[in-house]
Amino acid sequence: MSGKVCSSNSVVQARRTVEQLRVEASMERIKISTAAAQLVQYCQEHSRSDPLLTGISASSNPFKDKKTCVLL
Amino acid sequence: MGEMDTLKKEADGLKAQIEAARKAVNDTTMAAVASGVAAAPRVQLKNRKTLKGHLAKIYGLHWSADNRHMVSASQDGKLLIWDTYTGNKVYAIPLKSSWVMSCSMAPSGNLVASGGLDNMCTVVNIKAASPKTLRELDAHEGYLSHSRFLSDTELLTASGDTTCCLWDLETGKQKVIYKSHVGDCMCLAVSPDQNTFISGACDSTAKLWDIRDGGCKQTFIGHTSDINAIAFYPSGTAVITGSDDCTLKMYDLRADQEVNGYQDAALNAGVTSVSLSSSGRLIFAGYDNFNCNIWDSLKAEKVGVLSGHDNRVSCIGVPDDGLGVCTGSWDSFLKIWN
Repeated sequence: MSGKVCSSNSVVQARRTVEQLRVEASMERIKISTAAAQLVQYCQEHSRSDPLLTGISASSNPFKDKKTCVLL
Repeated sequence: MGEMDTLKKEADGLKAQIEAARKAVNDTTMAAVASGVAAAPRVQLKNRKTLKGHLAKIYGLHWSADNRHMVSASQDGKLLIWDTYTGNKVYAIPLKSSWVMSCSMAPSGNLVASGGLDNMCTVVNIKAASPKTLRELDAHEGYLSHSRFLSDTELLTASGDTTCCLWDLETGKQKVIYKSHVGDCMCLAVSPDQNTFISGACDSTAKLWDIRDGGCKQTFIGHTSDINAIAFYPSGTAVITGSDDCTLKMYDLRADQEVNGYQDAALNAGVTSVSLSSSGRLIFAGYDNFNCNIWDSLKAEKVGVLSGHDNRVSCIGVPDDGLGVCTGSWDSFLKIWN
């Protein structure tokens, strides 16, 4: 054994790191082509109901101050 | 070989394995896949309301699930709850510690939480006869950077002590502690199905966690500085991160890697906050340079800007119905745009 003093703390930490990496390495990954296509599809399916994309009419805009017209 | 050497060798081997597995599915880019998509319209949002009332820097805001009320936190030592349709303040809650860094509202609208350099998360019942402190959650060993309610009985927190935590609000005790980050946790976001959450930290990584068993399922790398802001894509299959490295990134959860990046050579301000429009197409990102840039999430192009604040944009939020976006700033104002 070398003369190094290994604090048990760093060994515990190193073991945890290896365990975590094992969990992450075991994941099943899907191809980016599939994943990206699904994100694009989701976006497009929901774009018509996205008010910030489609615009909001003045009458259905809850944040717009309603000003009354005065006829002079 | 000593045990440390063996472990280091194994860790290096696993990292190489993960990198190879990510490379193996890296068969195209989001840019290529999105090239056939029509460009997002040039987005010109108007400032519809300016909420005035805070007397110092605003550090956090969170919309109510009712799409109308909102809580904001300022280092003037107050939480303000607003009716955003009228611009009126509904409640003002004085904080014991003015060094607040975040606030959140429960989906029910009954509770708000806040915390910061006091290392605590204080939960207040705003529907009681007068706002009443329900719990002081006191176990983190570092500042409270972020919190989100799962319900009136469960709350997630992120802390400068590098951990996140799930609290039982009925007992005030920690239920689950999420340990894996090696830098201050700065932000968190809950998945639409509430089974997982994602955290961003000063170690430049984002991590996906199983809420119930506390396990870290995935780690996303690529940023070169603190991740200050994080949000789930509404599909629940991707996350957007914003960092002090002046970029935002989209990570796909199932491909386990970065699939898009949002940056501009002219931009050299850190990203402080991020929120998405209801379809996920638009990313609203607040920066240190007082602006909020609007990005097309698919094509990674800037499609608009929200300018009007006189200081850093520190927080952003889009309500669940997607009818607007609110920016909060160190200039003490909140602005609503649509």
